[in-house]
Amino acid sequence: MKAVLKSIGRFFLKRFKGIRRFIKRVWAHRQGKIGLTMVTFLVIVAVFAPWIAPFDPYDVAERTTKGLPPSTTHLLGTTINTGQDIFSMLVYGTRVSLIVGVSSGVLIAIVGSVLGVMAGYIGGAVDSFIMRLVDVLLVIPTLPLVIVLTNVLGRDFWIIILIFVAIGWTGLSRTIRSLVLVLKNSNYVKAAELSGASRFHIMIRHILPGTSHLLIMSTALSSAGIMVAEAGLSFLGLGDPTAISWGKMLADAQSGGALLFGAWWWIIAPGIGIFMAVFAFMRIGIVVEEILNPRMKQSSGVYKIFKNLNSSYVEDVFNSMDEHAQIGEASSAKGGAHG
Amino acid sequence: MHKKLFLVGLLAVFFFTLHACSNPGRQRMEDETNTLYVGYQADSFPTSFMPWLSREGIAPTVASMMYNTLFAFDLDTGNFDPLIGKTWYYVDEAGEPLLTDDGEIDYERLDEIYSCPSYDYLPVKVILHDDVTWSDGTPLTVEDVYFSYDTGANNAISNHAGALAWTADLQHSYRDGVLRRQGIFTYDHGAAEQGYVIDEVDRDTVMYLHVDKILGAVSSLFTSMLILPSHIWEPIISEDNPLNSASPQGELLFHYRNPVGSGPWTLDLDASSGQQIVMHRREDFHLKDDDEGPLYKVDTIRFLLFQEINVAIYALLKGHIDVLNSTVSANYSRLFDTHDNIFVSEAPGTFAQTLVFNVNPVESERNPMRDLLSNETVRRAMALAVDQQFLIDMVLNGAGEEMSPGLMPSHMEDFYNPDAWGVIEGDYEARLLEANALLDTVIPDRDTSGYRLLEGDRVGFDILGHPGEQDLISYLEVLFERIGIEIDYAPKGSQPERTYLYRSRFDMTLQTTIFSLQNIDIMYRAHFVTIGETSNYGRLIDADMNAQIARMRSTLDLDEKYELIKSIQPMIAENYYKVPLYSANVLSVARTDRFDNWQVVPGATVFNGESLQNLRRVHEGE
Amino acid sequence: MKKSYAIKRVLYSVFVFVIVMALNFFIPRIGVADPAERYYPPQGNMTDAQYEIIKQLTREQYGFDVSTPQQFLNYVGGLFQGDLGTSFRSGSPGVMELIVDRLPWTLVLSVSTMLLGLIFGIMIGVIAAMKRGRWQDTTLLNASTIMIALPGFFIALLLSFFLGFELEIFPAYTDPNMVSDFGWNMTAILRVIENAALPVLSMMVGSIVGYAQGTRNAVIAVTNEDFILTAKAKGLRNTTIRYKHTLRNAMLPIVTSIGMSISGLIGGQVVIEQIFNWNGMGTLFLEANNMNDYPLMMGIMLLLSGFTILAILITDLIYVLLDPRVTVGDRR
Repeated sequence: MKAVLKSIGRFFLKRFKGIRRFIKRVWAHRQGKIGLTMVTFLVIVAVFAPWIAPFDPYDVAERTTKGLPPSTTHLLGTTINTGQDIFSMLVYGTRVSLIVGVSSGVLIAIVGSVLGVMAGYIGGAVDSFIMRLVDVLLVIPTLPLVIVLTNVLGRDFWIIILIFVAIGWTGLSRTIRSLVLVLKNSNYVKAAELSGASRFHIMIRHILPGTSHLLIMSTALSSAGIMVAEAGLSFLGLGDPTAISWGKMLADAQSGGALLFGAWWWIIAPGIGIFMAVFAFMRIGIVVEEILNPRMKQSSGVYKIFKNLNSSYVEDVFNSMDEHAQIGEASSAKGGAHG
Repeated sequence: MHKKLFLVGLLAVFFFTLHACSNPGRQRMEDETNTLYVGYQADSFPTSFMPWLSREGIAPTVASMMYNTLFAFDLDTGNFDPLIGKTWYYVDEAGEPLLTDDGEIDYERLDEIYSCPSYDYLPVKVILHDDVTWSDGTPLTVEDVYFSYDTGANNAISNHAGALAWTADLQHSYRDGVLRRQGIFTYDHGAAEQGYVIDEVDRDTVMYLHVDKILGAVSSLFTSMLILPSHIWEPIISEDNPLNSASPQGELLFHYRNPVGSGPWTLDLDASSGQQIVMHRREDFHLKDDDEGPLYKVDTIRFLLFQEINVAIYALLKGHIDVLNSTVSANYSRLFDTHDNIFVSEAPGTFAQTLVFNVNPVESERNPMRDLLSNETVRRAMALAVDQQFLIDMVLNGAGEEMSPGLMPSHMEDFYNPDAWGVIEGDYEARLLEANALLDTVIPDRDTSGYRLLEGDRVGFDILGHPGEQDLISYLEVLFERIGIEIDYAPKGSQPERTYLYRSRFDMTLQTTIFSLQNIDIMYRAHFVTIGETSNYGRLIDADMNAQIARMRSTLDLDEKYELIKSIQPMIAENYYKVPLYSANVLSVARTDRFDNWQVVPGATVFNGESLQNLRRVHEGE
Repeated sequence: MKKSYAIKRVLYSVFVFVIVMALNFFIPRIGVADPAERYYPPQGNMTDAQYEIIKQLTREQYGFDVSTPQQFLNYVGGLFQGDLGTSFRSGSPGVMELIVDRLPWTLVLSVSTMLLGLIFGIMIGVIAAMKRGRWQDTTLLNASTIMIALPGFFIALLLSFFLGFELEIFPAYTDPNMVSDFGWNMTAILRVIENAALPVLSMMVGSIVGYAQGTRNAVIAVTNEDFILTAKAKGLRNTTIRYKHTLRNAMLPIVTSIGMSISGLIGGQVVIEQIFNWNGMGTLFLEANNMNDYPLMMGIMLLLSGFTILAILITDLIYVLLDPRVTVGDRR
């Protein structure tokens, strides 16, 4: 187990340079620039929330008159039910949404790639077990499943992340598996096998690196999907009740009477937050797709590996991302048409 | 180009037709009849109406409109008002009434005759109205009451926890479907053998009951047990087909869905659905108003389902409904001020919100922090730090009242004991000083932020609560910070009793409690005496208080009972176990453009029996 | 070849369904699911003996008196007779009946969302593909990037606020008479359309854009393929190519994607139904969740999973039947 962790750590460290180079390529895109800028902005907001927000929404003493309209003191007014500063909630909400989104995205990338590589490279019983699991998870409706799991396991912040990961890894691992099936037959893997390298060594050293760009894309896209999902869950009042997230703000706005009082800013503000975060991660994901997609751009080194793939891996990732998005929104059909 | 124009035109027509047709509110506004539109906020409406099985949401309301109990409890007077039953009294061995000259129950003679241990029951005579009928026209007799009580006590054919509990004080018991002891006597069921003489003419209206030897014994029998029609149910239920079926089939399901009751309202099954319930007034209901007119003043009641309270309020503001049968948060008051034709009812509440300490956790759940809570000094300090007026202002926007630490509302004049306030009353600053001084004797160390330290750890507790109670807990956080104690919110989850409360797995929790003469026999015991799976979550043990409560429950002398209730209140207060936070007022709203003369009833929304008896239809042009 | 593939495919679907069924059964049982304790808490003056009797009776009634594996067998046995179990809700009919009551209303929303989304989506997608690079195309691209980032429930909230509460163009909540007064007459049907307008609209916006983007990509991909080039070379008229060849071939991936989207559509509808007071399966599921009504939750999940499996199976088979290029084995 320790060895595995070590190897994975080494793998990511070694990849770090490559990732930096890759980010540069994303930055070269106009869309990528927008995405990266927005993500950086959101990260800054999240990190420096206590300095940016005029009030601490978690501090009861800083509550004021309920239901104030926007003013210079309260940029977005105060909530009708508790008298908290909406702008500050928005700023602090960035933290929860980003942490849930990004950490689930990263975990999904890790779990998805590990299982995908195992399925593809080891094959046999491992492969069919993992793929059957994928098929099963794909047909159970996601939002109801998440609701049942939160009901049974609890609504802690970390439990919710784990639930998202447990359900979200399927699409990615399927994609990676098909990629690995191709890589398995490539000459250098064959060469490594002949030279007597262990299977584990080959998986970590030769196969996993070939999937790294896909992982960046998956992380970006599933982070976006999960942020929508988390918002949807919180909106139903089923998220972590102690954390201020954008979805919970929307839920509070609805249950607190924003619609009746005409406090549209209370609804719009968290909506814009969700939109910005999802949009930004989506941009990055799509730009990575464009970099990798043969039809959009001339073949890169990565593309050459994918060239032999029969099914379009990008579509699959899109589908997997879409499943996350479905958790929060009804319009699941979007992007589904890629299949 | 033409095509595009055509498309736009088509779309416009589409939207126009849509807009031109009805909206959900039009029906009420055009309704000229005497129909009341009632909004009700709930997840769903029931589709089956077996009264004993009506537990959630609107079901109990609907059940109590279609069915009746023998009597209704009057919270103000402590008397039983007639419903199916006309009158009742205790009797002596020969069946003669134990009444004083002015017709009141003679508690002195009751005590005299029955306090001797050779009697283990009290005989009660009940006389029914002779003109009560079921909604299918069949007359209601004592045999229906016999059937209902008898079935409720026999779990082999009713299998109903509620009914078993309601009849628990009736000395009528079954084991394995066999009657072990009879406690209900009618003309047809053994009255004569027991020595009670019932005349032939009274055979349908007179019955005798043997109940436990406590004054509260008749309470749940009379007011909780909805009487079922024996001519409907008796033929179809058996041990194989019990009354309370999880998956009713055939005839049973048919009767679950087509209720026949003795109440003032009948269900209009055709007009009802999962989203609305329509009920019509029964013109042959036996109770009338003073002018021999119908008791209730509307012909039809339509309950409309709203899943979201805001949508329901919207519907009320727009005039889609007459009244909202749900409480409304004080945050909305501002909204109603600007509207004409809206009546806001602010009724005093009957519930007390309390903070419960885990004073005596089970061995495995003990820790040094919780041990602090078993220290009465610490609890007393915390009780002193609770500023009820502050909580009322912040949490309820002022719509609430302070609650005595004896947990008895002050408007219950017969039992309320003002002495229970004790140390809690008075200047808050002084109380805070005293609280800090008390804590300094137990946990004097403080960290840099001013929080007290117990062996290096900050003294802090979690308060278990629903997400809706987070606001209240935040303000408790403010209050307890003043005495150097840190408070956090801990979510209760969906099964708090199983997960936390019965297992002692909590520091503190919030609990709403209600005490009245009607439930005090049961509730005092559940809240303060019985340990285990009851409301005594903190497992308080106080031998003196338990003895008093036992005495209060068993005495047959009403005056003594009242005195004991009074003397128990300071004991409750001084345990500092359930500390009152406030008693929230019940806010509710109604429109006055179709009906007026709404009544405010303590503890109830504006849609209540009083209102229904007094409503007046407003006609246009008046 | 195709026949044996079809048989294999059907058997595989059955296998997946069995696994899903088992998961559905066991996941809720991670938590405490004893209805006796939940629904019959001991009451003030009840003796312990009386309470034991009640607990035992309740367990028997809900089938909890036997061991868990036996419960599972009973559950499976019930399924074969179309019995999804007994709701914990008191005195209510079986889970099946509760679902059947609500299913049509949910389908009204999802089917109309899907149909309208498909019609408008394909129209817009074809236009965008034909006008590749022009403003129609870029607008679609921009719209789709924006719409994909906007959660459906947020759109629903905005629509209910502006079109419902403020402007009152459409009903802000579902008319309770819609269900009880429903009949096959003009008034009732119009009423359904009117009440469904906002929920459908809020779900449709996203799916139109999704389908349009998919259609556009598919059409462009197909345009570049050999047989279209051949058709062009053969001198076929442009419109003929557009409608007969291009669209027909581009439709394939779109049609197959419908299968996948069904479960998401119904599952995601939960939030929308809640916002608009809609009397569907989504709200039923939330009710069940609020009351910890496990049998009902399990029933709904099983039904939705079954739908999805069936839809995927059917679209897969259609795909194999229709597309001459697909060799069996390509698609798992």
